[in-house]
Amino acid sequence: MWGRVVEIMTAVWLAISPFVFRVQGSESFVLIDSLVALLVAILAGLSYWHPTRHAHLLNLVVASGLTLWGRFAEIPPPPIHQNHIVVGLFLLMIAIIPNDASRPPLAWRSSAGSH
Amino acid sequence: MSHATLPVDDLHRNVPPYDHNPSAWSQRIPICILAFVAAAISTHLSLYQWGLIETAWDPFFGSGTADVLKSKTATQMYAMLGIHDAALGVLAYLGDAILGFAGSARRWQYRPWLVILFGIDVIPLGIVSVVLVLIQAFIVGSWCFLCLVTAVISLILVYWAWDEVRASLTYLWIVWKQNHDSRLLWDAFWGNRCEAIDRAAETLLSRGTA
Repeated sequence: MWGRVVEIMTAVWLAISPFVFRVQGSESFVLIDSLVALLVAILAGLSYWHPTRHAHLLNLVVASGLTLWGRFAEIPPPPIHQNHIVVGLFLLMIAIIPNDASRPPLAWRSSAGSH
Repeated sequence: MSHATLPVDDLHRNVPPYDHNPSAWSQRIPICILAFVAAAISTHLSLYQWGLIETAWDPFFGSGTADVLKSKTATQMYAMLGIHDAALGVLAYLGDAILGFAGSARRWQYRPWLVILFGIDVIPLGIVSVVLVLIQAFIVGSWCFLCLVTAVISLILVYWAWDEVRASLTYLWIVWKQNHDSRLLWDAFWGNRCEAIDRAAETLLSRGTA
């Protein structure tokens, strides 16, 4: 489940980003980044529960939205929006990592053991 | 071949023509560590390009790093991509590290999609690094020490990652050659399992080493 842990760590980075990029005076940045971070963390957290184990895939949608917002909200994008692009694209990579990424897929486990 | 006959230590078999398992943790962990180092360097350069720090560290070329990072070429790339090149580097190296870490010690067969995605991230990154070094030499006319370090790291990553990407591509090629069935190839790509797919892997594993 380390992929989900990385998603939560990325969400924390997103939440503190307005302060790192010195735009904490803008309520919209603080609010939107916090809400998106919360959503990412919730979806990652839900993936720990078996009935919603694929919830992390919804982060693909969130990440796509974040990337597009970062790219097109202001042209050329200022540092805070470049951060949104980087975080969005990074989340796209993380969200596709399976929950048990370090173990063989289920179909192979019976013979290969659970290394 | 029955699934039940596969030995438990199958995860760690060498993959010809190599005398090692290209998906072994001992092969992949160094890639991840080196990629994290490059990501940290790129983060430092990004902070400079974003104006969050005053100077970028360069023990050899003095103001060369600043000249490269604030050059007209860098500005043009930013205008085109909407993101500074160093920030793209952060993303790409973090991707290398994450995609390098995901998967078991036999992911070349169990998750070829992951290995190929990893290759798509690593190999073009090496090419882009070489292009950026050429741009420094022939267009900007200044050198950036940390950029050169990350370019060298990129090439090392390509060299280290290639064997695993080759193993996955060879495996998929054998699946295709033995069956000529696109549906089966699709299943093999996503790590699904059936006897024909097992047979293809065994064909690869039973080849002689170089």
